[in-house]
Amino acid sequence: MEKAPAAPHPEYDLLRPIENPGKSFYYIVAVLLAIILYTGYVYIRQVYYGLGVTGMAQPVTWGFYIINFVFFIGISHAGTLISAILRLSKAEWRRPITRMAEVITAIVLAIGGLHPIIDLGRPDRMTHLFYNGRLQSPLLWDIVSITAYFTASTVYLYIPMIPDIAILRDRGVKPRWLYEFLSWSWQGTEQQHKVLDRAMNILMVVVIPIAVSVHTIISYIFAMTVQPGWHSTIFGPYFVVGAIFSGIAAILVLMIVFRKVFHLERYLKLIHFNYLSVLLLIMSLLWFYFTFSEYLTGFYGHEPNEMRVFMYKFSGAFAPYFWTMVTCNFLLPLILLSNRKTRTIPGILIASISVIIGMWLERLIIVVPSLANPRLPYPTGIYIPTHTEWMLFLGGVSVFILGYMMFARFFPVISVWEIQEGRHESAKTVTERISSYMPDPQPRYTGSMENE
Amino acid sequence: MMNKKLIDRLQILSISLIWLLFTGIAVWILNLIKESLRLHDAPDASLGISLVAIPVFFTLSSVLTYVFIGLRKGRRKGVES
Repeated sequence: MEKAPAAPHPEYDLLRPIENPGKSFYYIVAVLLAIILYTGYVYIRQVYYGLGVTGMAQPVTWGFYIINFVFFIGISHAGTLISAILRLSKAEWRRPITRMAEVITAIVLAIGGLHPIIDLGRPDRMTHLFYNGRLQSPLLWDIVSITAYFTASTVYLYIPMIPDIAILRDRGVKPRWLYEFLSWSWQGTEQQHKVLDRAMNILMVVVIPIAVSVHTIISYIFAMTVQPGWHSTIFGPYFVVGAIFSGIAAILVLMIVFRKVFHLERYLKLIHFNYLSVLLLIMSLLWFYFTFSEYLTGFYGHEPNEMRVFMYKFSGAFAPYFWTMVTCNFLLPLILLSNRKTRTIPGILIASISVIIGMWLERLIIVVPSLANPRLPYPTGIYIPTHTEWMLFLGGVSVFILGYMMFARFFPVISVWEIQEGRHESAKTVTERISSYMPDPQPRYTGSMENE
Repeated sequence: MMNKKLIDRLQILSISLIWLLFTGIAVWILNLIKESLRLHDAPDASLGISLVAIPVFFTLSSVLTYVFIGLRKGRRKGVES
C-alpha cells in the first residue's frame, strides 16, 4: 500500500482511492480475476467443442450472447452521450458525474463489442471481414459504428482527464512515468486551457450523432429482416430510447455505490440523484410510449405470423418475462420516482436496478420469441441457456466491475479540475448567463408617449 | 523516473500509431468498396457508408493530434512540468 506522497490536496477525497486504495480493493480484484479466469476456460471449451455446448439450436440461433451484446452496448449510452448533452447545455450540476458516466461507456463498449465474436463458433473467421466484408450488411455497419463510438468515447474520456493526470504527476503518485506520459506536459497555462476547450467543443458535437447512430444501427440488425416482431420502422428510436434509459440507471447505481464506498457525499449530493432520477422517470414514460406503439400496431394488423410472436410474449411461454419487464421498466420506476417520499437514495437504487433488469429482459423479449416462432410450419422452438452462457454473462459483468475498479485505482472518477473550476467560476458564469437571456429592465418612464 | 526524452519519443510514437490505426481503418473500408465494385455488389451503399465513416475517424485523429501538439506548444518556456 502506498502512502500519500504529498501534502493533502483540497479535494483529497477524490484522490484517496488512488493514493490509499485499501486492502479490500485487492481482495475484490482477486475474486474478480478468479471469475474471469474461469470464464476464459469456459470460453476456450466452447471454441474447442463448438456452439453445441450452448443452449442455441435451430430455430433459436441467437441467444444470450446477442442479448448481452445489445444490452451492454445499450448501457454504454450512459456515458458519452449523456455527458455530451449535459456539457453542451452547460448544466453545471454535471461536474461530479460526467467522468463516472464516460468511464462506463469506454469499458462497456469494449465488453459488448466482443459479444458477436463470442457468438461465433469459429471466431478465427472474423479475419474474413478484412478482405471479404460486405459493407451493405447491417452487421458491418455495426462494426464500423461501434469502432467509431469506442474511439470517440475513449478520446472524449481521456482529453478532459489530462489536467487531473497532471495533478497526480505533480504529487509524485506512482507509476510516475505513466502520469508523465499521459499528461502531455500539462501546466495549466491559458493556451493549454484554450486547446482543451476547443477540442472538447468539437468532440461534444461529433460524439452525439455517433452515439445515436450506434444503437440505431444495432436495431437495424433486427429491423432490416422481415422477421415477425423485428421488422419495425420505429426500432431505431426505440432502441436509442431504451439504451439511454438503461444507461441512466447504470450511472445511478454506480454513483450510489461510489458515494457509499468512498464517502463522496460532499460531491454526489441528493440534488444530483434527484435530477438524474427525474430524467430516469421521463425515459421510463418514453420507453412505455414506444413499447405501447410497437405492440399496438402489430396487434391491430393481426397478421398471423406477427400474432404468433405477439401471443408468445403476452400469454405464452415468455409471458412471465414480458410482464416482469413491464413491471421493472415502467410500474416500479413510476411508483418509486414520481413520489417525493420514495424518491430517496434507496428508492432510486431499487428503481435503477429494476430498470437494468427490465432492460435486459427487454432484449431477451426482442431476440428470442421471433426466432422461436419461424414462418415455416415448424414447431415452436425453445431456448434454455446453459452454464457456458451464464458464465460468459457473469464474466462480462466481472470484467466491467474490474475495469471500473482499475480505472478508479489509477485515475479520479470525479473530475478534480472541473470541480475546482466550478467552485471558482460557476456562480459568476451562471449569473452572467442568466442576465444575458433575461429581458432587459423596463426603461424608466420619462415623459409623454407621443414622442415614442 | 523515466528519461524525459524517452517520454517525448513515446508521445510522438503514440500520435504516429493513432494515425496508423485510423489510416488502416480507412484502407480497410476502401478495400471493401473496391471489392463491392469488383463483384457489382451494391457499391453505392458501400460508398455512402464510407463517406460518413472515414471522415469521422480522421476527425478524431485530427482532434487528438491538435490537442497533443497544442499542449506541448502551450507550455511555459523554461518551466519543467
